[in-house]
Amino acid sequence: MIHLAHVTKTFGATRAVDDVSLAIARGEIVALVGENGAGKTTLMRVAAGELAADAGTLAREGRAELVHQHFMLVNELTIAENLALTHPGFRFTTRRGIEREAEAAIAASGIELRGVARRVAELSVGERSKLELIKAIARRPATLILDEPTSVLTPAETEELFRVMRRLAGEGTAVVFISHKLPEVFAVAQRIVVMRNGRVVAESMAQDTNAQSLANAMVDRATAQPRDRATGRAGGEIVAIVGVAGNGQTELAARLRDEQPGAAHIPEDRTRDGIVAELTIAENLALRNARWRPREARAHAERMIARYSIRARGPLQRAGDLSGGNQQKVILARELERTRCHPERSEEASRPTRAPGPSLTLGMTPQIVAAEPTRGLDIEATRFVHEQLRAEAANGASILLITSDLDEAFALADAIQVIYRGRLSERLTPAEAAEQIGRLMAGVA
Amino acid sequence: MFDLLANSIPLAIVASIPLLLAVEGELVVQRSGMINLGIEGMMLTAALTAVLVAQTTHSIVLGFAGGVAGALAIAALFGVLAIALRADQIVTGTAINLLALGGTSFIYREIQSLVQQVPQLRTDAVLPLAWIVIPLVLGAMLWNSSFGLRLRACGENAEAFAATGRSVARYRWTALSIEALLVGMSGAYLALALSSGFAENMTAGRGFIALSIVIFGRWTVKGALLGTAIFGLAAAMQYALQAANRGIPFHLLLALPYVVTLASLGVRRR
Amino acid sequence: MSRLLSAVLAAVAAVLLLAATAALFGHSPLALLSILVRSSVGSRFAIEGTLLKSVPLLLTGLSVVIAFRAGVWNIGGEGQFIVGALAALAASRFGVVASLLAAMLAGAAWASIASAMRLWRNAPEVLTTILLNFTAIHLLGWSVNGPLRERAAQYPQTDLAAAALPPLASGIHSGVLLALAASVATWWMLYRTMEGLRLRATGFNPFAARWAGIRVGSQLARAMAISGAVAGLAGGIELLGVTHRLFERFAAGYGYSGIAVALLAQLHPLATIASAFFFGALVTGAGELQRTADISAGVATFGQAVVILLLIVFDHVRSTR
Repeated sequence: MIHLAHVTKTFGATRAVDDVSLAIARGEIVALVGENGAGKTTLMRVAAGELAADAGTLAREGRAELVHQHFMLVNELTIAENLALTHPGFRFTTRRGIEREAEAAIAASGIELRGVARRVAELSVGERSKLELIKAIARRPATLILDEPTSVLTPAETEELFRVMRRLAGEGTAVVFISHKLPEVFAVAQRIVVMRNGRVVAESMAQDTNAQSLANAMVDRATAQPRDRATGRAGGEIVAIVGVAGNGQTELAARLRDEQPGAAHIPEDRTRDGIVAELTIAENLALRNARWRPREARAHAERMIARYSIRARGPLQRAGDLSGGNQQKVILARELERTRCHPERSEEASRPTRAPGPSLTLGMTPQIVAAEPTRGLDIEATRFVHEQLRAEAANGASILLITSDLDEAFALADAIQVIYRGRLSERLTPAEAAEQIGRLMAGVA
Repeated sequence: MFDLLANSIPLAIVASIPLLLAVEGELVVQRSGMINLGIEGMMLTAALTAVLVAQTTHSIVLGFAGGVAGALAIAALFGVLAIALRADQIVTGTAINLLALGGTSFIYREIQSLVQQVPQLRTDAVLPLAWIVIPLVLGAMLWNSSFGLRLRACGENAEAFAATGRSVARYRWTALSIEALLVGMSGAYLALALSSGFAENMTAGRGFIALSIVIFGRWTVKGALLGTAIFGLAAAMQYALQAANRGIPFHLLLALPYVVTLASLGVRRR
Repeated sequence: MSRLLSAVLAAVAAVLLLAATAALFGHSPLALLSILVRSSVGSRFAIEGTLLKSVPLLLTGLSVVIAFRAGVWNIGGEGQFIVGALAALAASRFGVVASLLAAMLAGAAWASIASAMRLWRNAPEVLTTILLNFTAIHLLGWSVNGPLRERAAQYPQTDLAAAALPPLASGIHSGVLLALAASVATWWMLYRTMEGLRLRATGFNPFAARWAGIRVGSQLARAMAISGAVAGLAGGIELLGVTHRLFERFAAGYGYSGIAVALLAQLHPLATIASAFFFGALVTGAGELQRTADISAGVATFGQAVVILLLIVFDHVRSTR
């Protein structure tokens, strides 16, 4: 049982959690929903005791275990060793000893995971997710909090997870499930709490509400109308590569980056791979240039700031000071300008430098490769990115969109391919994809 | 050629004890996720403090303790900067080497007037300790104990390790202390057993060679022993080659250990 | 605390700490400080001596600035310095320009051994450059005792080089101008050219650099080569301008000192001029301390270390504000 009263948590100038009161009872399954940045993860970190609230009180019975969205596993160690890490109490033991203990813990959790001598690096993403869950359950918490647990699971694995959640709740554990996927929420939760901008804006029993009202509560305005897709573009198209994260998307994007240096590449991880934080906006924008001309670079940066509505103090501001969404705009500005201003570069881009690998049956040579371009962005920034991509396609560019967000894929794509364990499916129309997607993502032929 | 090799073996085993102890210490530290470039300075400092204590107390055992104390002082400095202040480990290590080099030269010159005969180490106890006991203990500790498991986890993925609620800093400090113990003995042995006292810059790069051997041995105990054995043999061959007067110039032989170490780092690995 | 303030504080505090340490052993700190100041900047002769020492420090400092800015750990300045001087000696019969060019090429080549090993075998350059230092030192020892030994065969040193840098004013050689020019050239390269921008980007974030189309491997190799060339040039200038012949302890720590010079200058090429002068003064003063006060010249090395350690602490203070 957890009782949060008037909890507030601030990071710098942002109030991530704003005067939230929430109670979670033993044996119930509560879903905490909201858009990215609504404060769900922060609130649960406070509930689990990982973060201290700046204001308000927390009353908790027993331990709370939070299973993070990002894996906290040591890849070089085995499953058994990772489990042993969270189990105090053995001093000297043989490898076989900890393997036996691991198998016992797995059996007790009710989740299936074989081969405890395997290194985590060899596991599939779904198996790693299960390992994180087993780790948490093995500590017998009174409250189990799962942060976006299904983002890397196939539909079948998701069902398995829901069975485990119901069993745990039946045994008296309080289960909290953070998600932004409404259909799943309705499949398993008894009570649903909606957060937006750090506050709880709606709370209801699952049977008393529906997806539409929840969606309205999650977003400031009514969700955007689906656009009419212009037919017969001059050669431009958007192909979406969808799949559960960890099935080769990162490798695909990296390979395309190396094979098509003339194309525009928007990396998945904008803080690590996109922006050089210590350089200015102008310098970041100029990074692909052949010559450094300070005055021209500055003028160009000012134009880009205006064109892409980048919120910055000026072209000489350190790129690392910008917010995530604005950093993404800088990357877009740099990359999209390559095809826009230099149509001859598009020609160049269509000529690959190396023969593409055999498992890459793209059937097109992309001029723009965008990997997870709206990850972590708010609604306004996401809309902006989608507009830019559509505009480029309308101008004739062939775009490869790699995304784990099915909504995004269906909103933008002319054709969809599913990636599973590094291999691509055939090209599907959006309608065909909608039918087969569950099957394809799970790797069923 | 082979008889030269065979004759060099006993010398190699003894002469590479300081190196082996340093390799063993650095192995633990690197397994915890740090790299201590200052191991050279640590060894040099230990050599000086061992000599100072041995001279004033006329006791070898206390001399060894003095060596360990000197190494611990350097470890404390490194730890405060690299662990507590999260400073760059390479810059910190380099600074420590300079500090030890300049500092030991300065102090040694100051106490020149006090220099007396340094007691010599007579027992052979250190040999089996370095080549047998410590490797066994380290192996068991790293791979068969919960402490070792946690230490390795800390080194592989500090973020995940911290998420288990444990302190990365505490494990690294522990690793550093173990290294100081071993490197303290290493410096003491170098000065008290292999030489007859302290000399400026007497470590001559052994610390860097130890670092290279840890990497060459892929951070395992077996690799450490193998690497040190190979290296020790090559180094000992120097003397044998000189004595055999094969016409290889003296100075090039002096370069041999470093070239061999470079070559070991150039070996193709899977 | 601004970076300039950290640097000045670190320099001043290091000197004071040095005096305090000496006091622990019975020396008078005021006497020590007075000798340091007098012998380094107290007279025209002193300043000339300091300038002579500052030139190689400025160049090895620039070498480290270039490398560290690119994100490569070039600790091999010492070896590159020696190899540069060896090449300069060999090419001295062809004149000063050829000789210095040879020095730069040799320094670049020596550094490139380490970058090749990093590229092809993943060998950490921090270790390979250090091992190459030891190798170069013994290479020098072999040369001056063997093949390059002076004809008279009296001392372990070479004959005089066939060329020499023309003097500037009494006691100072024109190498000073070359060093200053190198400093400006380095600044220009880093901040006014695309190569410099790419180099800095690679140093700050090699991942993002790769995604921006920069070929990181060859960028690092180029940076190492340039860094080595500058260190090699330092050796060549020291030979042709000051010592005119090679002997065993020719390098005398200039390579390693370059690290302290670069860090005190906060990795800025123009600030390296002031930083090199400070350490040049320290080295000159320490030499005098050894001669007159029987204090080991190792205090200069000790002082460099203290400066670096203090900078680390000040950096931390600055970043936690």
